[in-house]
Order: sequence, then C-alpha cells, then structure tokens
Amino acid sequence: MRRLITLMAIACLSTSCLKLDSLLYSPYTDIESYALDDYEGRQEIEVGAEYAIPESKQHLFTLSSDPEGDAKEIWALYIGDISRIATDTVILYLHGNTGHLDLYWTRIKLLANAGGSNRFGVMAIDYRGFGLSEGPPTEEGLYEDADAAMKWLKENGLSDDRLVVYGYSLGSAPATEITANPRTMRPSKLMLEAPFASDEVMVQDGSGLTMPGDYFSSLQIDNADEIKKVNVPFFWIHGTADSFLSIETHGEVVYKNYEGIYSEAHRVEGGEHSDVPAVMGLAPYLDVVLEFIER
Amino acid sequence: MFRIGLFVALVVLASCSTTRVIKPLDKGEKQIGASFGGPAIIFSGAPIPLPLTSISYAHGLDTGLTLAGGLHTTALLFGNAEIDLSLGIRVFESNNERFGLTASPGVHLFYGFRGNAFRAYPQLEGIGWWQYGEKNHLLYGGLGTWVELVREKAHSEVQQHELMPYVTLGHQFAGAKWKWQVEARYIGFNYSTDNIVVEYLGPFPNGTTGLYVGLTRKLGKQ
Repeated sequence: MRRLITLMAIACLSTSCLKLDSLLYSPYTDIESYALDDYEGRQEIEVGAEYAIPESKQHLFTLSSDPEGDAKEIWALYIGDISRIATDTVILYLHGNTGHLDLYWTRIKLLANAGGSNRFGVMAIDYRGFGLSEGPPTEEGLYEDADAAMKWLKENGLSDDRLVVYGYSLGSAPATEITANPRTMRPSKLMLEAPFASDEVMVQDGSGLTMPGDYFSSLQIDNADEIKKVNVPFFWIHGTADSFLSIETHGEVVYKNYEGIYSEAHRVEGGEHSDVPAVMGLAPYLDVVLEFIER
Repeated sequence: MFRIGLFVALVVLASCSTTRVIKPLDKGEKQIGASFGGPAIIFSGAPIPLPLTSISYAHGLDTGLTLAGGLHTTALLFGNAEIDLSLGIRVFESNNERFGLTASPGVHLFYGFRGNAFRAYPQLEGIGWWQYGEKNHLLYGGLGTWVELVREKAHSEVQQHELMPYVTLGHQFAGAKWKWQVEARYIGFNYSTDNIVVEYLGPFPNGTTGLYVGLTRKLGKQ
C-alpha cells in the first residue's frame, strides 16, 4: 500500500497536479477600450436614463498593483469628483467573476445614484486579467488589486470612516478579505450581494458529498470564515432563487457567521444571482443601500 | 459562469466508472479494464459527459466470488489518490447461465495530497444480468448507492444526505478478446440539483444522468 501511495504521489508530482483554480474566473478580454454607456454587450441589469452619469464624472485610468513583485497595470473607474474624495463618502465596488467593467456599468451607475445623483463617489476596478487589466487572474491578485484601489483613494484624501466596500458574487472575496484583514485602509462598512461561502461549499453542493475543497483547488477563499473577523456594520442582500450561489448554502452561512456590531439581511424573493436590484426594484434597492450607508 | 460550473462539475466523482463486476469471474480468472465517462452537465450550452477515467483489475477468488480494484486516473491528475475496491458476489445464476444476480459491496477511498484529507465512501450495488447470443453479450441493470459517513459539511453545516443512490442500465458487447460496455446511470435522485453552481443534465429536477464506456479483457484462463 505504501508503494502504491508513493507511486501515486510521484505520478501526481510529475504531472504538476492539475488544479481548477483558474476556472473560478471568467474574464472577457476581447475589448480595445471600455465603452460604458456605449457598450452593446450583455449588461447585468437595465437602468433608465434617470440614472445617467455625466461624462465629466466618469474617470477611467490605470493603477499599478504589485503583490510581492508581480506588478500589473490594472484599470479603474471613478465616478464622481476626484477633487471631492477628501470629503465624500466612497463606495468601492468589487465586481463578479464574469466579463469586465462594462458588464457592471449599470450597477455602478445605480450605486452612484444612491441618495441622489453622485451623492457618493463610486470606484470600481477590473481585476488583473479582466478587461484591459494585465496579467492572469489570481486569488492574491484580487486582494492586491482591491488594495491598489484603496491606495489610490487614500492618496486622494479618503479616510477610513468614509470608505464603504461593496462586493458582488466573486467580489465578495476581496471585499471580505480586505475588510477582515485591512491593508492600506480599514473600511467603515461592508456590503455583500450574493456572496459565496467558500470553494469547499461549491464542491460539496456540486458533488452532494462532503468532499474537501482542496481536492481540486488551492484557493484559500473562505468568506464564511473571514466574515467572523469583520466588526464593522454588515449589509447582506441575496436572491432567494439564486441558482448559482444558493442563498441557503452560501449567503445564509456567511450572514450567520458574522459576529460584529450590526448586520442587516435582505432576502429578495424571487431574485436570481444577477438580477437582485431589478427584482427588488431599483428605487427600493437604492433606498436600503442609502439607509445602510447613512446609519 | 460556465467556467465555474465546470470547476464544480469536475469534482463530481460519485459513480465515476462503469460497473466493475457484472457477472463474477470464474476461479483464477483475471481481468483488466478501463473506463471513461461521468455525469453529464450543460457546459457553454452543450451537454457533455465529464471525462473521468480509471483503470481496473479483477481476480476470480473463487467461482462466483470476484475481487475488483480500480485506480482513478483523472483524480490522480488533480492530486488525489482515488481507488475503489469491491467484491462481486454471485447471488443467483440460472442453470443455463443466461440470467443472474450479482451483489457488489465495496468502498471508494480518497486521499488528497494537497491537504492530506482522507475520505471513504462505502458502496453497495446489486446488478441483474441477461446473457444472450452466440457471443454471450450481456444486458444488465441495477441499483446502487454510495454511503456518506461524514455528517458535517463545510462551516459546520449538517450533511443532510446519507446516501447517494443511482440506477444503472448497460450493455456489454463481447468480442474475441476484448469486451466493451456502454452504461447509463441516473445518479442522486434523492438530491436536488436546483440552485447549485453546476447545471446537471437530466430529465428530472433531482440528480443527474451519466454516460460511461468501458473496455475489459480477460487474462489467463479464458
């Protein structure tokens, strides 16, 4: 038996063991520039003209993100007056695992209209490997790229007490990580939409068996565990009909594990993975977002 | 989201090979085999069976009692040792050797080199077979289940499912030296596949279907 196990280990090592980590990311890179309002591809949700953002408030630029010597140029989008970052509240929006910034443009516009047009600044990034951002996506890259956005915000005058982090789907991983383990800034509030608990839950949901997540990936993403370290106010919103990340096995577990000072849950009846603001109604969605940020 | 669906689908190793022992070997007979296929999923809009592979060896311990073992090569590529061990026990065989029933208790053992995690899933299977034609082709069908021994899932959640049952329908074509089999399975009919990250293919809301092909060859005594 020992010989057999040794042989298997050698075979495994000799083939460098396949991992499924990269399948977590589904970036689109077939663009030459960001289109935003002119984007004709699939949008996560539709919003009307009343949520339009003047071009003067749209700022596309690059940042350098450097996790331990693996420097990459990533793209960022700031909505609002950069000169007012020193006094504004800013939402750092961390998007999902598919596409690039254009797919999330309507969501970003919505948040920029919470409480009135450009009441809050909104910053979003394309993680490395997404859209025009350099390099392949990596887990550490998610965290470093989010931190690179925070560095830029801090350099432009943002203070911890005016930083709100909003993570959607895959974005719940960097959002939770950098709130639980602050790097450049210590966010004042955490908002998660359709978060996933961990890759192990995905594995166990998919197999129906209690297989460990590390059988197939070396990902360390574990929002259900990291959320225990979060002590700032926490907002959770999830569709009850989410067929991608089940509200029961993912969202409820993350929400239940939060042990901080304040939390609120919004279970949106009939909401799927990517349409919660639309199913809830855009105005009611923005109302609860605003109420949480202002409390 | 398609890629993440494949991420999870590839970890579905339950019922991951053709039936190892349909009709027990005679005493002293030896058999090698290979299997390819797995549960079917919708990937990028198209149905595909998962490419799970394994190789196997079976030995007739006694007439009507066969010991079989398999090494799962796809799992190995992902850094996990997965082996299955099972007995094929003749429960009934007609006098003309045309019909029979085989019981097959066994176990699937997993060891993950990445996290040093071990799992054992006992398996119970019953197969009814009909041997026909001059070449002794086999038509077979049966019912089996994996048994979940661990009661706690990730994040201390309770594992609700103690069994992962499946039904099998297959055919083994007998050639001069090689036999090959094609097999369909309906897996996990007690398990809702709504609201999970992978889109399984099946006619019902629960479980998934699987498609497998296998190849075997007897060694030694023919």
